[in-house]
Amino acid sequence: MAKIERTQKLFLKSLKEKFQGQDVQSETTEFYKFNGYHQSPRKEEFVKASRAVEMDRGISMYDPVRCHLGGIPLGQRQLMTYEVSGTGVFVEGDDLHFVNNAAMQQMWDDIRRTVIVNMDLAHQTLQKRLGKEVTPETINEYLHVLNHAMPGAAVVQEHMVETHPGLVEDCYVKVFTGDQELADDLEPQFVLDVEKLFPAKQAEALSAAVGKSLWQAIHIPTAVSRTCDGGTTSRWSAMQIGMSFIGAYRMCAGEAAVADLSYAAKHAGVIQMASHLPARRARGPNEPGGIGFGLFSDIIQANRKYPNDPAKASLEVVGAGTMLFDQIWLGSYMSGGVGFTQYATAAYTDNILDEFTYYGMDYIKDKYKVDWKNPSADDKVKPTYDTVNDIATEVALNGMEQYEQYPTMMEDHFGGSQRAGVLAAACGLSSSIATGNSNAGLNAWYLCMLLHKDGWSRLGFFGYDLQDQCGSANSLSIRGDEGAIGEVRGPNYPNYAMNVGHQGEYAAIVGGAHYGRGDAWCFDPRVKICFADPALKFDFAEPRREFAKGAIREFMPAGERSLIIPAR
Amino acid sequence: MNEVKENMAYKPQYGPGTSKVAENRRKQMNPNQKLEKMRDVTDEDIVLILGHRAPGAAYPTAHPPLAEQQEPDCPIRKIVTPTEGAKAGDRVRYIQFADSMFFAPSQPYQRTYTECYRFRGIDPGTLSGRQIVECRERDLEKYSKELVETELLDPARTGIRGATVHGHSLRLAENGMMFDMLQRSVLGEDGIVRYVKNQIGEPLDRAVAIGKPLDEKWLKAHTTIFHSLGSTAYRDDAEYIEYVQRIHTLRTKYGFLPKEA
Repeated sequence: MAKIERTQKLFLKSLKEKFQGQDVQSETTEFYKFNGYHQSPRKEEFVKASRAVEMDRGISMYDPVRCHLGGIPLGQRQLMTYEVSGTGVFVEGDDLHFVNNAAMQQMWDDIRRTVIVNMDLAHQTLQKRLGKEVTPETINEYLHVLNHAMPGAAVVQEHMVETHPGLVEDCYVKVFTGDQELADDLEPQFVLDVEKLFPAKQAEALSAAVGKSLWQAIHIPTAVSRTCDGGTTSRWSAMQIGMSFIGAYRMCAGEAAVADLSYAAKHAGVIQMASHLPARRARGPNEPGGIGFGLFSDIIQANRKYPNDPAKASLEVVGAGTMLFDQIWLGSYMSGGVGFTQYATAAYTDNILDEFTYYGMDYIKDKYKVDWKNPSADDKVKPTYDTVNDIATEVALNGMEQYEQYPTMMEDHFGGSQRAGVLAAACGLSSSIATGNSNAGLNAWYLCMLLHKDGWSRLGFFGYDLQDQCGSANSLSIRGDEGAIGEVRGPNYPNYAMNVGHQGEYAAIVGGAHYGRGDAWCFDPRVKICFADPALKFDFAEPRREFAKGAIREFMPAGERSLIIPAR
Repeated sequence: MNEVKENMAYKPQYGPGTSKVAENRRKQMNPNQKLEKMRDVTDEDIVLILGHRAPGAAYPTAHPPLAEQQEPDCPIRKIVTPTEGAKAGDRVRYIQFADSMFFAPSQPYQRTYTECYRFRGIDPGTLSGRQIVECRERDLEKYSKELVETELLDPARTGIRGATVHGHSLRLAENGMMFDMLQRSVLGEDGIVRYVKNQIGEPLDRAVAIGKPLDEKWLKAHTTIFHSLGSTAYRDDAEYIEYVQRIHTLRTKYGFLPKEA
């Protein structure tokens, strides 16, 4: 390892904006003079809103002066704004809590309400068992019927209740295939055209992987998956698929072949976005804890939009992953805490992780001649102990030195877990992009944790440290009872299941290995194609930009109820 | 207090490293090295800062004295001599520190290792912004006196904080004090730091003086944290880095194939 020169500091603009008029390298500042929460326009807004609520309901609410530390409101130090990394947009920290951010909610809604369902099994039933003809014309007709039925409209029955289209406008079905001839024969409104959506090299690989199969990318209404749960998605979808086949192909509603269609739509031909969890976690399929890291890296589409920047592609996975896995999954599903946001946002604000990661890119190019801007499997570094140790050590030391040289950056990442996650993510991403091996990246993560802990004699919190101090031993351990390669691991992997500040980064490390190789997908080509859909409410190619839009209240989500509630 | 027995087969090394930081760490950990006393704080003042009982009050108990209760026939109990607090049946209470990353004399893991080598009957917990040690109350008061009076504490950059510990990584105030939202300790015009609230933040009836902040030169010479600007850059202690890499590689290999090659 040897320090390399890198004059660009991506975080400097953020620090200067956050700490205006101050020397960002100074070790001293002023405290106790900021007038508490009044320095934050958002918290002032909270107080005002709370007063209105209290007047309306007659029950007390937000009262930081009385209720915080017996009369000492927060804001005794400067309450910082945050730049959402890679966007140039500065936001209030509060606006990055998922409750306050419609884009964050929609990202999770869009994943939870999605299933991918195979059509070949149903077509075989129709053709071989029932002797019906299946042609592009009949498929088009079926898709018309399905896009009528999927949001909640009747197909076959008389005197049915139906859902209001204005409330379920986000629900639709498209199809995709690797058979371009078939794709060209289908109505464009229903087709996810792989050739048009992906760069040529990726499109070729994806089409070859999907082959002549035909798949439905289904997004049920946000309002449905919110009211029910992720396990509902495949059920709701399968019910409307069955009715649509009956309607489009003039089947008998009760004939035995319908059972084959149902079985295919509910079980045999379904790709869930997440596997169900064991009883102690008590969640069905399509809930965050069951999303494999490889699959999550396929959901995020930044490598499609930025195929020549695997670092950016990975950083977008970090942002999306920490939001989903830390803020929503561990923060609220599993813990119930409100503060998890603060851990997660460190990894996608103020360009700090970005800077550390691009330092790693410079390093692997300088020392190992990895042309990371032209991702390829050909120039990957062999993932040996020596190379992983070398890359991780240099990236970790550089990051620690940046914190030491910019005390305002240390103050920005005021918690050890924030710094630990960011430093280790940079090490993991640098190693996985250099080697094209996700487990080498995970291994680098753990060396960083040990280096960090010994260098500063601190790391995160009790449990955080536990996970990272035993992580070296499981980063290459693949055993039936506790492991898999990174692509197949997920938030419920035994050693990963507990602690904030890891899972989103792990997903990105897995993604980085493939983005660095120029792979078209990480785990499942069908998932990669499904989320390339420009009609989705949330743009999965730009999750951090979408979060920023949510924070400044410019993101329009689905699931509106204004049609059925009194006007305000 | 502990001390290393002369007839031990294994001689503790107290960690790797050739740098001054590594040496300072070993010195704090090694119970055969006497910690330098920097200030006098009375027993009563320690009790006030801790805030667990009123000075002079009896120790509340969690169980009867060991001598008065029926102890099971347990071989471990025959081996381990109880501490004074355990003998008396004291409650388990705590002291918790926040150590500034700007060269506070000790740092969280360093504190834990030091306490494990020097004290008996303790349960330390280590986080990034705070380090807690729990034990029987009368033992705690004895240990706390050593933790507060010696070189392990700087009045300005070490905080004794039960909750709301925020401050370890923040820039220092212009008077050199580490940020504390509750301002439990204040720097007087006479240059002396006084605790005006106990560690949980309850106001004290009288201020407790814990002395003057240590000077910058002393702090940097005695620091136990690597720092590329203020002390030794971590990368400059090659032995330390190599040690961590070796531990990591061995753990990785063992997890992958748990047998010797």
